Amino acid sequence: MLSQRLIGRAAVKSAFRPSGLPSIVPASRWRRTYATEAEERDLVIIGGGVAGYVAAIKAGQEGMKVTCIEKRGALGGTCLNVGCIPSKSLLNNSHLYHQILHDTKHRGIEVGDVKLNLKQLMKAKEQSVSGLTKGVEFLFKKNGVEYIKGTGSFQDEHTIKVQLNDGGETSVVGKNILIATGSEVTPFPGLEIDEKRVISSTGAIALEEVPKKMIVIGGGIIGLEMASVWSRLGADVTVVEYLDVIGGPGMDTEIAKNIQKILKKQGINFKTSTKVVSGEKTGDEVKVQIDSSKGGKPETLEADVVLVAIGRRPYTGGLGLEKIGLELDERGRVIIDSEYRTKIPHIRCVGDVTFGPMLAHKAEEEAVAVVEYIKKGYGHVNYGCIPAVMYTFPEVAWVGQSEQDLKKAGIKYRVGTFPFSANSRAKTNLDTDGMVKMLADPETDRLLGIHIIGPNAGEMIAEGTLALEYGASSEDIARTCHAHPTLAEAFKEAAMATHSKPIHF
Amino acid sequence: MFTTRVLRQAAQHAERTPSIKFIGKRTIPASIDHSPRPHPASPSHSLPSSFTTGSSHTSFSAYRDHAQQHGPLRKTIRSGDAAGVGGAAGSELGPVTPPQGIYFDRNELPARFHRQPLTLAEIEVIETGGAAAFA
Repeated sequence: MLSQRLIGRAAVKSAFRPSGLPSIVPASRWRRTYATEAEERDLVIIGGGVAGYVAAIKAGQEGMKVTCIEKRGALGGTCLNVGCIPSKSLLNNSHLYHQILHDTKHRGIEVGDVKLNLKQLMKAKEQSVSGLTKGVEFLFKKNGVEYIKGTGSFQDEHTIKVQLNDGGETSVVGKNILIATGSEVTPFPGLEIDEKRVISSTGAIALEEVPKKMIVIGGGIIGLEMASVWSRLGADVTVVEYLDVIGGPGMDTEIAKNIQKILKKQGINFKTSTKVVSGEKTGDEVKVQIDSSKGGKPETLEADVVLVAIGRRPYTGGLGLEKIGLELDERGRVIIDSEYRTKIPHIRCVGDVTFGPMLAHKAEEEAVAVVEYIKKGYGHVNYGCIPAVMYTFPEVAWVGQSEQDLKKAGIKYRVGTFPFSANSRAKTNLDTDGMVKMLADPETDRLLGIHIIGPNAGEMIAEGTLALEYGASSEDIARTCHAHPTLAEAFKEAAMATHSKPIHF
Repeated sequence: MFTTRVLRQAAQHAERTPSIKFIGKRTIPASIDHSPRPHPASPSHSLPSSFTTGSSHTSFSAYRDHAQQHGPLRKTIRSGDAAGVGGAAGSELGPVTPPQGIYFDRNELPARFHRQPLTLAEIEVIETGGAAAFA
């Protein structure tokens, strides 16, 4: 960076050199500067997770001088290192294992002795993770992003002090600063996470052996994905959920009830409307006292591993926000305005640490938008159109509003559904569990929400998201040609069911 | 004749107005209001008063204390690490000369005071009285 600035000076010097005299003096010879403090950067980003690294790359592409500070020692944050990516590796490979064990015989494939090699399963996961994190480092280099491995904290409104991972300290000065520090696991009061017996999602992707019995506290997306992985690998899994439905916020209740039935069929036990009162570690076991959410039905569950998956909370520890007087809301989120500015306008914030759903793709969208706001003055994120996916088998995906959202808001709607059992491709694949459900305005036919359970739902929801973003009607989808035979035809037929009638059901 | 009729029909078909239309090129408004508004995902749908007062500083003097332009514009904060350049009088920083028996090493000074290394090409130019520059 310094040399880039000085090259400019060298160029000025060379302009005064007598013509014809060849340069024998290297550019470094002309290094004369009075600036001894750190060079001011256009953008300093605290956090190299999905929000931070995407913002850094985008800023680099926009020609900004950008520095990204990350303390983990690897880029990608929770998502790449201990979240979305490693869990998808385990979900994919455990599904293959489960399918070979239980689902190939009736397809005409007889497999001999099938063994689980958990070490290799974990190695495959680590390979995926390291490949992707190194890929991000390469993108940093490609886009001229300065990467500092260390812990950043505010020294003042423009200066970030960094405790370097390799020892020592440095500071970076930025015209703009972006807080993208993400989130951390919300602990369960009275049950200390040791990542061996009582684990968080981080421990759940790194168990050294398959537990015999596993209790999952929290029936949200993370809990159900991990319950699926370990259930497929042989654990007896019980999910305890405080609410009367699983799936967490946003999932349509009808869809949630359907997926619960499907997962129950796969061997996962559910205790809904149940609260965890306390937990206790005794030797190799963990005892969990549960009760009905209304009380009066106490019970004790025992397991060798308990997964705490009750949610995540914004992470601002050690950031020194008090030094600059930045405010957090009652849930610990950094308060921002519609252009991601905190009350100190050059300090902005995106991702899990602020408002909105804690989703990697939402953070990515915000990261691009915030850089555009800084550089161009406008950006775009449609918070009404952020898809959510649960990567169980079958997958669950949705975008827009759920039926219960619409009822609560008093919005009239029309429903159209189409089951995968009537879809030709699902039939040939022998994967017919699930359905596509569409909600549309009864007067204008404009789409309000799309909810899918089914194989490949996570990919299929992209079409729904695009339609919703464009403000499409269900008829628009119904009139669009879809290839045959594909699972996507179920999507078209659900649109036909919403608009008029489906052909194949 | 028949072919022409078919072609005409095909052309007519191609010109029909589709039900799903292209809505046109994206346009960016010439002026955008950047005044702080609540974040769309904010549960309270409101901003604290500190956002709407326009500045987080209570006075212009307070703003000057925090303003930056290639470093602190004027730092009067004098507590610990926060003291900026010029935040303390020169005399308060101690004597310029080293104590007796202690010598400054040139290499401990900022890079601009270091001896500049000579390259082999420079040495050769000097030794040949400048001739090597034109060799």
